[in-house]
Amino acid sequence: MSEAVVKFTDFYFKYLSSELVLKNINLTVPKGSFTVMAGPSGAGKTTLCKAMLGIVPFYYGGSYSGSIEVLGENVKDKRVSDLAMRVGLMLDDYESQLVSLTAGEEVAFSLLNHGFKPQEVEARTKKALADVGLPGRENYQLDELSGGQRQRLLLASVLAVHPEVLVLDEPVSAMDPDGAKSLYALLYKIYREYNMTVIVVEHDINNLLPYVTHMVIVNQGVIAAQGPVMEAAEVTYAYPLLRENLPRLWQIKFNLEQRFGLQLGNWRSESEAQQELQERFQGGIGKC
Amino acid sequence: MLEVNQVNFAYRRGEPVLHDITCSIADGESVALLGHNGSGKTTLTRLFMALDHPRSGEVLVDGNNIEKCEPADLADKIGYVFQNPDLQIMEDTVFEEVAYGLKNKEISEENIKHQVEVALKAMGLEEFADLYPRSLSFGQKRRLGVAAALALNPRTLILDEITNGQDEQEREMMMSYLKKLNEEKHITLILITHAMEIARKYTKRSLVLYDGDMVYDGSTDELFDGVRDLKPWGLSQPPLATLGAVFGIKAFDTEAFCNKLELKGVGVK
Amino acid sequence: MRITAFTQLILVLAVTAWVFLLPIPAVAMLLALELVLLLYIKHDRMTMAAIGALTVFTGMMIVLQLLFGSSLYISLTGGLRMFVMTTAFLDLLAGTKIQDIAQALVEKFHMPCEYAFMLTTALRFVPDFLADSSNTLDAQSCRGYSNRGNVLKRLYAYLAVVKPLVMRAIAKSDTLALSMELKGFGANTYKNMQPQTLKILDYVVLLLIVVLSSYPFWHKFILR
Repeated sequence: MSEAVVKFTDFYFKYLSSELVLKNINLTVPKGSFTVMAGPSGAGKTTLCKAMLGIVPFYYGGSYSGSIEVLGENVKDKRVSDLAMRVGLMLDDYESQLVSLTAGEEVAFSLLNHGFKPQEVEARTKKALADVGLPGRENYQLDELSGGQRQRLLLASVLAVHPEVLVLDEPVSAMDPDGAKSLYALLYKIYREYNMTVIVVEHDINNLLPYVTHMVIVNQGVIAAQGPVMEAAEVTYAYPLLRENLPRLWQIKFNLEQRFGLQLGNWRSESEAQQELQERFQGGIGKC
Repeated sequence: MLEVNQVNFAYRRGEPVLHDITCSIADGESVALLGHNGSGKTTLTRLFMALDHPRSGEVLVDGNNIEKCEPADLADKIGYVFQNPDLQIMEDTVFEEVAYGLKNKEISEENIKHQVEVALKAMGLEEFADLYPRSLSFGQKRRLGVAAALALNPRTLILDEITNGQDEQEREMMMSYLKKLNEEKHITLILITHAMEIARKYTKRSLVLYDGDMVYDGSTDELFDGVRDLKPWGLSQPPLATLGAVFGIKAFDTEAFCNKLELKGVGVK
Repeated sequence: MRITAFTQLILVLAVTAWVFLLPIPAVAMLLALELVLLLYIKHDRMTMAAIGALTVFTGMMIVLQLLFGSSLYISLTGGLRMFVMTTAFLDLLAGTKIQDIAQALVEKFHMPCEYAFMLTTALRFVPDFLADSSNTLDAQSCRGYSNRGNVLKRLYAYLAVVKPLVMRAIAKSDTLALSMELKGFGANTYKNMQPQTLKILDYVVLLLIVVLSSYPFWHKFILR
């Protein structure tokens, strides 16, 4: 995982009528990673996601300095829609990203606009809908789909262009825990099957524990930590104010490691944590 | 005091959403309302607020049947705070926004000013009083939603996913303000939430709905004992509860858990 | 077998001309045909409600004309004409997908793609907008907004619902515009769709339109 799919170099940005939103961003997202971007609200995570497609600073306007490279190319002179063919973006207001009246039309929209032939469009639409668990729903009207289904529809429309990178901004904020788990499981499956790079902005990293390989912590417009997930987590833990952004299990892990001066495993699930704690510590009541 | 007796509800399209629900919530309680999406938890609270009326059964607020009421009639008894604060912001300053509900009543300017200031203070928004509401952060807007409901002096607050979409600091801030309201002013809190940790830490009683039935009505501590299997209901035990149960520790944050672990004489093998 | 959106559009335009070109009995027959067609395509509650609303509106128009001194005959025929024209639109909307109408407007009438797409967008967001207004209404009701009082009071109070809705609509349209940009919306959007080719039925209908529209020229020959 040495190649960078996204690379920010000395990047600063402010909107037309605002303070600096991003400062001195030097960020690398490795190819093939499942990266989570976390940090306090208003830190600039959404702005960073938009920058990965050149929406900021080129579509919205504002002042900037530094450079953004995506898949090896500077985003400066690229059309947003061309970048979107390689980097799929899902914003948190996914409802308003759906433009068409039926599921099939939504998935086909981007493809038609880029000149794909009707047979190709039909084939890709069919595959994309099947991939997200909505097979055969081409003729469904938007209001016949539930909220969760609509989100998966947006995912299908993004996948149909076969992007190499997926960027999702708080995709599960409207869901219950089961819904969130199943969306992330689906995302992971697609990530593995198509060898993609995935970047997810999330407040609650607990849901991503089994999948995440890299982490970026953004705080007040600056990158506070980045890199392979455990390393970034350790760096983050060193800041008391940022600790709370880490998954609960890892907060416990680092706290115990510091307190007792030992090394615990990189827990990816509650049962792992439970098992190790029971093995390493005495005084446990035992599992039911 | 809120009561529902044998309440049934279905939307016009037909499928029943609540089946024979009976429960009562006394003044000053802090209650978590839990369940999967579509379990009926939001619907139940809408009945309390007369946003919808049941097909059968009765809904009583302070002993009075509210079948003839509309939400505006109940605004000074129950404050209902919706999930999306952007859907209701309309004024030019935070002060005006909070004062909206009071303008409809016949209260003097002075009284309005006083009640707004009390509400702003209770939610930590005094310094924002003259700002444009949409310039606030999301967490601040959420608190603004609560302040707007508080201005009318209700005895009960119903909060729909109040911590959703917020980072940890904002969540704790919101909950500490709400906790104060419950403890100091004895305002009943009804929290509709998916955040098990929040429910566990801040409520004493939990109601769990599953597919329109009330499957649990009891102590939050007993529900989140770290051992009970909550998956069939679409819920899960928070990590601190599960790990706490392993060592017989009750803790609500990382530091407390690790502290108690050490204090208990639990040592490394 | 269906006629294309293009033919339907031409038909609607033709009907607008016919209400003035054809004699009144023919126009009345036209109305009957339109209503039968409409109810055949779609006889749900919304369609009945639309017809009902139109009837009421036409009635009001007729009364208004009478009040302003027009004769009964002129008022009635004026109302009839309006009814026929608007029912033609209802028929169009009931019988065609709006995406096809938009495509025909771009392909055959050379409308810029942004304007044509507005039709689809409008339809796409009507349910969302209704849901938002319902939610806003609920939220404001819980803060004391009430739909009581005299008309003026109610209108002023309703601002509490309108203002947040407008802001929401603006925010949504911002995201929508970005989304369309990301998906590459532009001149190609309609160019690359399956073209709507005219079939036999279309030509037959078009011929009929030409014949009926040239009525002023050949009606003299019937009266012989």
